[in-house]
This record gives sequence, structure tokens and C-alpha cells, in this order.
Amino acid sequence: MDFLDYVQMTRGQKIAYNIKSFFTGIPGAIAGLFAAIGRLLKKLFTTIGNGFKGYGSRFVKGDIGTKLSYVIMGAGSMLHGQIGKGLCFLVTEIAYIYFMMTFGLSYITKIYSTGVQVDEKTIVDGVIGKEPPHYEVDALFGARQVTNLDTLDDSNKVLLFFVLTVLVCIAFFAVYITNTKSAYASQEIKASGKKPMNFLEEMKMFLDERFHVTLLIIPVVGLLTFTVLPIIFTIFMAFTNYDKAHQPPGNMYWWVGFKNFAEVFYSSPLKSQTLGKIIVWTFVWAIFATFTNYILGIVLALMINKKEIKFKGFWRTMFVVTAAVPQFVTLLIMKLLLANAGPVNSVITGMGLSAIPFLSDANWARVTVIIVNMWVGIPYTMLISSGLLMNIPEDLYESARIDGANAFQQFTKITFPYIFFVTTPYLITTFVGNINNFNVIFFLTGGGPDSTDYYKAGQTDLLVTWLYKLTIDSKDYNLAAVIGIIVFIICAAGSLITFNMSKASKNEEEFS
Amino acid sequence: MTNTSTSTMQSGYAAKKKAINTLIYVILAIMVIIWISPIVWLVLASFSGDGVSTGVVPKTFTLDNYIRLFVEHDPNTGEIVPMSEMRFPYLQWIINTFIVAVLSCVISTLLILMVSYAFSRLRFKTRKTFLNLGLILGMFPGFMSMAATYNIMEIFGLKQQLLALVIVYSAGAGLGYQVAKGFFDTIPRSLDEAAKIDGATRNQIFWIIILPLSKPIIVYTALTTFIGPWADYIFVSYFMKDNESAYTVALGLFKMLSNETYSEYFTVFCAGAVLIAIPITILFVIMQRFYVAGVTGGAVKG
Amino acid sequence: MVSKTKRVLAVILTGMMAAAALTGCQETTNTQQGSSSGSTASTASTAEGGDESAASTAEGGGDAVDVEAMTENIKTKMKEEAAANGGKIELKVWCASADLKFEKTLIEEFKEKYKSDDGSYEFKIKASGAIGEADAGGKIIESPKDGADVFNFADDQLSSLVEAKAIAPVIELYNKNIAANNTKETAAACTIDGTPYAFPKTSDNGYFLYYDKRVYKDDSAVASLDDMIKTAKDAGKNVYFNLGNAWYNAAFFFSAGVEIKYENGKQTTTFNTNEGLNAAKAMCHICENAGAGFQGVDGGAGDNTAVEKGFKDGSLAAAVIGTWEGPAIKAAIGEENVGAAKLPTALIGDKQVQLESFGGYKLIGVNQFTKYPVTSQTLAYYLSNTESQLKRYQNRGLIPTSNEALKDPKVQADPAKKAIEDQTPFSHGQGSSVGGKYWAVKGIPGMGSDIYNKKGKISDDELTKSLSEIQEQIDH
Repeated sequence: MDFLDYVQMTRGQKIAYNIKSFFTGIPGAIAGLFAAIGRLLKKLFTTIGNGFKGYGSRFVKGDIGTKLSYVIMGAGSMLHGQIGKGLCFLVTEIAYIYFMMTFGLSYITKIYSTGVQVDEKTIVDGVIGKEPPHYEVDALFGARQVTNLDTLDDSNKVLLFFVLTVLVCIAFFAVYITNTKSAYASQEIKASGKKPMNFLEEMKMFLDERFHVTLLIIPVVGLLTFTVLPIIFTIFMAFTNYDKAHQPPGNMYWWVGFKNFAEVFYSSPLKSQTLGKIIVWTFVWAIFATFTNYILGIVLALMINKKEIKFKGFWRTMFVVTAAVPQFVTLLIMKLLLANAGPVNSVITGMGLSAIPFLSDANWARVTVIIVNMWVGIPYTMLISSGLLMNIPEDLYESARIDGANAFQQFTKITFPYIFFVTTPYLITTFVGNINNFNVIFFLTGGGPDSTDYYKAGQTDLLVTWLYKLTIDSKDYNLAAVIGIIVFIICAAGSLITFNMSKASKNEEEFS
Repeated sequence: MTNTSTSTMQSGYAAKKKAINTLIYVILAIMVIIWISPIVWLVLASFSGDGVSTGVVPKTFTLDNYIRLFVEHDPNTGEIVPMSEMRFPYLQWIINTFIVAVLSCVISTLLILMVSYAFSRLRFKTRKTFLNLGLILGMFPGFMSMAATYNIMEIFGLKQQLLALVIVYSAGAGLGYQVAKGFFDTIPRSLDEAAKIDGATRNQIFWIIILPLSKPIIVYTALTTFIGPWADYIFVSYFMKDNESAYTVALGLFKMLSNETYSEYFTVFCAGAVLIAIPITILFVIMQRFYVAGVTGGAVKG
Repeated sequence: MVSKTKRVLAVILTGMMAAAALTGCQETTNTQQGSSSGSTASTASTAEGGDESAASTAEGGGDAVDVEAMTENIKTKMKEEAAANGGKIELKVWCASADLKFEKTLIEEFKEKYKSDDGSYEFKIKASGAIGEADAGGKIIESPKDGADVFNFADDQLSSLVEAKAIAPVIELYNKNIAANNTKETAAACTIDGTPYAFPKTSDNGYFLYYDKRVYKDDSAVASLDDMIKTAKDAGKNVYFNLGNAWYNAAFFFSAGVEIKYENGKQTTTFNTNEGLNAAKAMCHICENAGAGFQGVDGGAGDNTAVEKGFKDGSLAAAVIGTWEGPAIKAAIGEENVGAAKLPTALIGDKQVQLESFGGYKLIGVNQFTKYPVTSQTLAYYLSNTESQLKRYQNRGLIPTSNEALKDPKVQADPAKKAIEDQTPFSHGQGSSVGGKYWAVKGIPGMGSDIYNKKGKISDDELTKSLSEIQEQIDH
């Protein structure tokens, strides 16, 4: 089918076509993801290769100023008349050298220390940090005190500062390359007889041609410092033995390679079984939690928005109220209401039936969390689809009625496809959100009921709540990092595939 | 003959329709009861005078629970305890949460608008890469790297301070660009072109032309970022540790339900929960159309 | 052993003399391990007389060190620690939020007692109830540098604190006193591999029986669980014993002879045996009275709430619970009506067997990374000494651990004290019985609440099946 056929379709057909192609596109998209990764890698290497080529050729073709800026940054720019820009480069270089000398270099060298005495008996290679805590016993009182509190290498800090230093080096390298390029560019402009832009003119570009830099610089720096840096740090943690027994600053931890991954995937049956069970339950949960809310929310919206139904505002507000009460409050209340001897069960036993172990029996608990999640989530879907329902062009229904479609057919042929199409991105984010849905599980069951079949987890634990338990309760930071990486891979792969498939990203240019 | 059959058909149709509508009313009523009764139970418990109770309706009613949120008497002297000495300084938590919510709302909204505008309207070489990187970064569970973030805050001297929370909530905000970008995508590009011909810089276009058109998405972003801190528990509990004077309301209320204080403070917890739920509910009910507009990426205009 | 004690005392006493001689002199020997041990060697020989007197003290008063006599030395050391930190002593203390007000009064006393004579240092001690006794250990391990200098915690957290090197061993000055001043069981709960790491505070981390004297005349009326339930039933009340909780229902398994042991990080149990079945059947037997004479689950809101509510509305005649609920029970039914005793006997197999229990302590620890090691340890010692324990008893009703404090007539008269003492021979330390795995087996509490919910009508086959599932999960 080509574009012409597509344009000639009626609106309904277009929507149906889009939905069909969405699902038939999934296998292709998965293949496409891998192809894209391949392309990305290829592009990366060619860019690096070209970069080196350009770096060399600029040096060969450069004049004395350009050549000089390979060592003294900004020299080229200054010699070619761009004093302000050159000074900026120079200051950057001096600051970088100062940073490395006083701070950065020492952490680069401390990231893998050999022969460190980590406790009374053990000497280990590959330790993160050099200076373990030294204890001194006070002669008079016999108090054991850490004497090098300020200089001791807390493995956490060493690793963190190492990552920071590496990020600074990468950023500096980018500035350095820009410096050589800029020097060469100004040399060429000069050679062609024109005058290179002055500092003010270049700055003005940041409000226009380079406005994206101005807009993105603060968010990017914020992300680098408070998101990227911690994430890289946490990823590194997955390759260390940072657990309860190696807790800084009292103890140090060291690199153990892929041992944690091996444990989680096969060498420790309890852990790998736990992982398997939790992944399965996470998906079951995410699918049910997403689609029950979605479908029932739409049904509720349809009921409220049905033409003949009165007090629409009242009905809607009643549900919106429950959505607005902070989630942790409603979830804690639900937990109390559904406790073994809570009000709900006292009503049930009052009717002569036996109490239901809503949260204490594994299967019941799984059903309960899904149902409570419906209670939490349906108002949201209702709200959104109410808004959408009002937006569906009336002429669609008109023509459908003329074709003799009944109410049910109208729903399946028009209403649902329309809502589904518009809310696909919402559906994807909700799905990912449910995979990472911490609150409902944490506040309702706390992951329980527990079981010995699980390694430090319970039978309603999702990957994220397991991650949380490993971090906060049992302090197995290394395993938690492995789980974090797994969660990331699942979510990233899934959503990259769906997002790149969905029309929203394909056709973003069409709006203009 | 034909007439009668049509009219019976019609009346049959009407009866069926009426039956359906009645059924819908019944279903809606039942659903509202299911949805609203936990909230009603919460409100009743907040006025309960019989302490912890598993009953459905309290036997005695009192306003004490609300008063105890703000006033604490010394058991020995009977004097009013200053807020800094209170066991659960609710007002302090509200103030803290409000400060954090306002600051992170302003910063996050600005950052989100900047990022989504750049991705939606501007074309630059690394755009696609950044778009995908942003998507990927957003996939890491937020609290996975909490321990590292805490260490970074220590470097900046912000350990256990409210400002650290503001930074945590808003530094990553740029990643939430999808919704706002979807909205910007729907604003006709011809507006930009026209302005450009008139000699406006991209900077001016952003502030003068696009932002005024973006009210629904600004309200949506501000609303979601403002509500966030009122409900977050994980970050606060990890970041504030024992610094009670910097607790936010979610953590503080949660602490009331610890084993030690449960029986004494359960009804006070309910009162505290009701008090924060009221303004947020009102805010949400008023702003719901913007919320819908936001989530559907401009498919519905606010 | 004796010679080591002597040497230590010699060191302390010579230090005392040296410090007395040096009063007013700012410079004190510190740092460098080598040099300090050198000075120890040289001063030890000059303190022959001190050595002898120390030996006689040691023989006279057990192993106890007279801390009072050391006050001036401690103050000198505090001055030194303050000087290293800008002339201030800033400490953070974590305790249970319910105890906060009381602990603050003790801290004020401490400040008064150890205040600087020449104003060269001042105390800034901040007590906080934000991190309770159940969470303190975990939070200290999470980031010791942000943790309290002195913290209260439950004894089952000690081993992980020591493993993380987050808790400081008790200093020489005080560590003999822990064994000398407290009961043997208490000292053992503070010690790991021969080193004491914490100061015992109260012996309230276990359970026994509280009862209403209006229903049961004296201890003989609460000797057997069957009789108790019968009496309660006749009075239209219940006996509370939470079978839906692995901490409490372990009583039946312990008493039936089921082995529950935790050694070297390994959990061993023998649930899937005749003893296990007997324990389960004993629970079934009691649950025949479920709802009429016996309450075996909490209201979903926890034991404390269930017990408090039950005594308040008159539905409970007795409860298996710990000292922490003592004040609430007294408030509910009046102090004169509160009785306490060891657990009753229960019909296990075909004879009446004394119910056994978990017993434990609340301890005070000092952060390894505190800037004020001696000051912190002194504060911890002060908060746990006999006088403080007595005051804590008067204020909070928490039973002391110190031998002296236990001799106090008021404590002697407290039914809870006698109950704990009577129960102690039948109690099991948590550290040596159960690890995290035990609590993770939800079949243990699950079985209890099942039996209760079905009023004990469960066939032996079903019980055996549940028991073998529990055992399988533990062995897994």
C-alpha cells in the first residue's frame, strides 16, 4: 500500500489500518532494534575513525597557531583574532589540569589497588581505595578509634569520584577537540580574507542558531550530575562485592568481575529461581494491572458519558476524589481494611462466611494487589478517556449509523480504535510504570507473603521492590545493582521497540 | 398494523433503553460506593474518639485528632510543647513539603519546557541521539542509584537538607519531556516561520510565541510536579534519615504508623491524611481537564 | 586472664595518677599506637603499688571497675576530645520515640555530672526518636558517619553491626562491668567472640504472661493454659496468645522439643517430627475455644493494639505479651489489678509442659565512627548504669538487667520482674535460635492462624503436610 491508497481511506479505515500495522510491526521492530544497535555501533566507530583522521589532518594543515592549540588550548583562536574565545579555552585547560593534579588523578590510581590489607588476615587485589581504616586503641581507656577518619578511602567515595573524574575527562576531551576544530576553522576564515566572528557575535548565536545548546545545557548538566553519574556508579557496583559484609567505611569492597551476574543467573539456584519467579510475576502483574485499568476505565467513561446518563459531573468527581488522595494514604488504608481481622473480614465473618486471607495467602494477595490497583488506577483512565470520548468527531458515528452499525459495533469499530490509537504512548508508559510500580506493592503487601522459595523476597515482590529490599533491608548493594540493570534492560528494550514503532514518533514531522 | 408494530417496536426499544440506563445507574452507584467508602472510612476514623478500632463506624466522635496534629501538651506540666520539640510536628512537615513542592514545581516545569521545546521545534545534529538517550535514562528505576545520589549531595554539602530533595525531584525532570514535546509538536510550525521572517530569534519565539500558547501543558506539568513531593516516601526516607525537622508529610505520616506509636497515633494519622488530601483533591478536581489534555499529548485541547 | 585484668587496671590507675599530675596541662599523649604502647610499658613498672591495690579491688568487688573514681580522668579525656573538635562535644542519641522524653532527662543528668570544671568544653547532645530500636542497627550500617554516636537497639542486630564494623567495642574501662554488674545471660547477649560490644539496658525483648487479678486470684490460677481458658470462658473473657506470629507460637514448638537453632549463619529446625506434630496438635487443642475463652490472632493492627484494646473493653482476661505493654495494661485495668507470671503450661502430647519462649534485651551501642569515643561510651555507660536503669523502670516500666537494680524492692515487687526471672530458664536467645530465614518461612505463622481460623479442626495428615512444607523451606 502506498501513500495514495492511505490518503483515500476513510478516517475509520485509517485508524484500523494503523492499529493493524502497529501489531504486525512488532516482530519487525524487534529486528529493527538490533539492526539499529548495529548501525549505532558502526556509526560510532566510523565517527571515531573520522575524528582521528580529522584530528591528524587538521594538525598537518594547520598554521603555527592551530598547531600550538593542540598543546595550549585557545592559542589558535587567540592568534587568529578571537581573544575571548581563546581565553575561555585556556581557562578550561588550566582548570582541568588543576582539577586532575589536586583531585582526579589520585582517584584514577585508587580505583584498582593491589595488596590491600582489608582485615586482620586478608590481603586482596583489586580493592577500590588504598587506605583502609586504621584502628588505634587508647592506652588509658582502651577505646578503639579510627585514626585516619579524614584520609581513609571509603570505597563508595573512591568509586564515585572515579566516575566523576572520568566524566570530567570526557567533557574536557570534547572541549579540546572543539578547540582544535575552532582553531582550524578560524585559520581558514582568515585565509579566505574574512574576519572570524568576535566573542559577542558568537555568544549571540546561543540565542538563535545555537539556542538548543542554551536550552539543553542546564538540564543536561543536571542529568549528568544527579542521574547519569549515580547510574554509572550503580552499574559499576554490580561488578563488586559491596554487600552486608563489605560495608564502607568500616570495610572496603573490591572488584569481583561477573560473579554477581553468574550468581543471579545460574550459580546460585535460590537466587536464579527467585529472579525467574519474580520476572514472571512482574510481567503478569504489569499486564493485568495495565489492561484491567485500561479497559475498565474506558468502560466506566463510556457509562458516565452515555448521552442519557445524568449528573455526569457528580459521577466523575466521585471517582476523581479517590484518584487525588495521595496514593500512600489510600494504600495504607486499603491494607488496614483488608487485614485478616480488618473491617472487611469482620463484615464477611459477620455474614457467617469464613475470613478471606486477602494479603496473607500468596494467591489471594496477588489477586488483591491487582484489584486494589484497579481501585487506584481506574479513575485515571476514566478521566483521560472521558476527555477523549468528547473529542471523537460526531460524523464518524453518523456515517456508521447510516451503515447500520449497532452500538457495540460502533464501540469496536470507532470508539475503541480511536482511544487506543491516541493513548498508545500513554499505554506504553503505564506498562513500564507498572513494571516499576513500587508503591502499590510496597504499601499494600510489602512484597509478602514471604516464602523460603525466594531469596530475600516475598511472593508479590516485583523486581523493583526486590531491588529495594536488597538495598535497604539486607544491604546487598551488588545484587541490587544487577537487578537494576535487568529492570533497565527489560524496560529500555520494550519501550524503545514500541516507541519507535508507534506513529507518534514516526510522524512527528507531519504536523508541521 | 404497520403503525402498531412500529410503535410496539419503539416502545420495546425505549423500554430496553430505559432498562439499560437503569442498569448503568445501578452499576455506577455500586462502583461509587466501592470507590468512596474507603475514603469515608478514613474521614470517619479521623474523627474517631475510640483510638484504634476495627469497627466500621466509630462509637464516639471528637476533633482531638485534628488538634493533636498542631498542638502537643507536655504530659507532666500540661504546657504546650514548641513545634521543634513535638514528637510529630505536622505543621513543620506541611511547610517543608510545601517549600519542596513549590521549588521543584517551578524548576521542573522550566526544565521540562526547555527540553521539550528544543526537541520539538529545533533541529540539530545530535537531536535523535539525545532523544533516545533520554528515553533510555528514564528507564532506570529512580531509586536504584539513591545511595550514590546521597553521596553526591554530601559533596555539595546538602546532606539531609530540603534543597537536596528539590534537586532530586527536579534534576531528572528533563527526562519527562515526552508529554510536553507531544504538545509542542501540535503547534503549527507556520507560526515559527512567520516570526522568523519578522526577524525574531529562536529565543524570542520560545518566550513570546510558544509559551503563551502552552497554557494547558504548563498547568499539567506544574500540577504533576507539584503533587509529586506530597506522595514520595522512598527518597525522603533515605535522604533525611534521622533529621526529623526536614521530614516531608508523607514520611512523617508513615512514621506515625510505626509499631511503637501505632495505637496512640492511628486516628491522628487519619486526620493528617485527610488534611493534606483536601487541598490536593480540590486542586486536582479543578485542574483535571488540563491533566487530561496533558496525558493525551494535546489530542484533547484543554 | 587475671594478670591481664591486673595489667589493665594498672594502666588505668597509672593513667589516673599521670592525668592528675598533668591537670591543667593541655598536651596529652595521643595518636601513634607505637608511642602509646611504649608509654604503657614504662609507666606500668612505676605503678607497682597501684598494681597491688588494683588487684585487691578486683578481688573484692568481683571484676567491677570503680567508674566513679575515674570521673576526673574521664573529664580530662572529654576535654581532649572536645579540643580536637573545636571545644565542643556534639553527640547524637537515637532511642525509641516513646522513651525520648525520659532519655532526655537522663542526658541532662549526664551533662551535669560530667560538665567541664573549667568551662573548656560544653555538651550539645541531641536525642531523637526518629530511628527506633528496631531500625537503629540497619540505619547505622547504612551510613555510620551520619548515624547517632550512641544508639539504642534490639539485641538481634548486634552481629550484623559487628560484621559491618559499625559498632565500637566497649572500652576497657567499662567492659569488665558488663559481666560483673549484669546477669550472665545479659552479658552473653552483649558479647561476640569474647568481646563486649554493647551496654545492656532492659530485658524487655521477650514475652510472658500478663493477667487481670480480678479474674485470676494468683499465680496458681494461671499455671495451666487449659485452666486459664476455662476460667476466662466462664467470665465471658478471652486469653490472648498470638498464634499467627512466629515469635509467639514458637513457644509451642520449643516446649514440644522441636529443635530451633541458628549457628554460623545456618538455620536448623526439626519441625517435621513427632514433636512438631505434638506442638501443632497442642495449638489445635487450645483453639477449640477460639473466640470463646481464647483469642489467637491480632486484629490486623498488631499485638500491642489488640492487647490494649482488649484490656480496655474488658474482653481480655490475660495476654501473652512483653513489658512494653505493661504501662498500657496498667492504665486500662488499674495497677492493682495487673498480675504477671511466667508462661503457663500447656497440654502437649499427653502431659502438661511448661511453655518456653524467646527472651532478649535492648542494648545501647556506640558508633565506631564517632569523633568522641570515650565521651560516647561514657554516655552509653551512664544511660545503662544501675541508677539509670532504676529510673527507667520507674518511668517507663522497663525491667532492668543490672543485678543491683534487680534487687531494688520496687523492682522485686513488680510482677513483671518475677515473671521474666521465672521465664528466663525457659527462654531462648534470638541470636542463637533464629536467623532471617526463620522469619521468612511464612508457613510458621500461617499454620498458627490457620489452626485458629478453623478452630483447631484440622486433621493430623494436614498438620503433618504443613509441617513438612515448613521444614522443606527451612532446609531449602
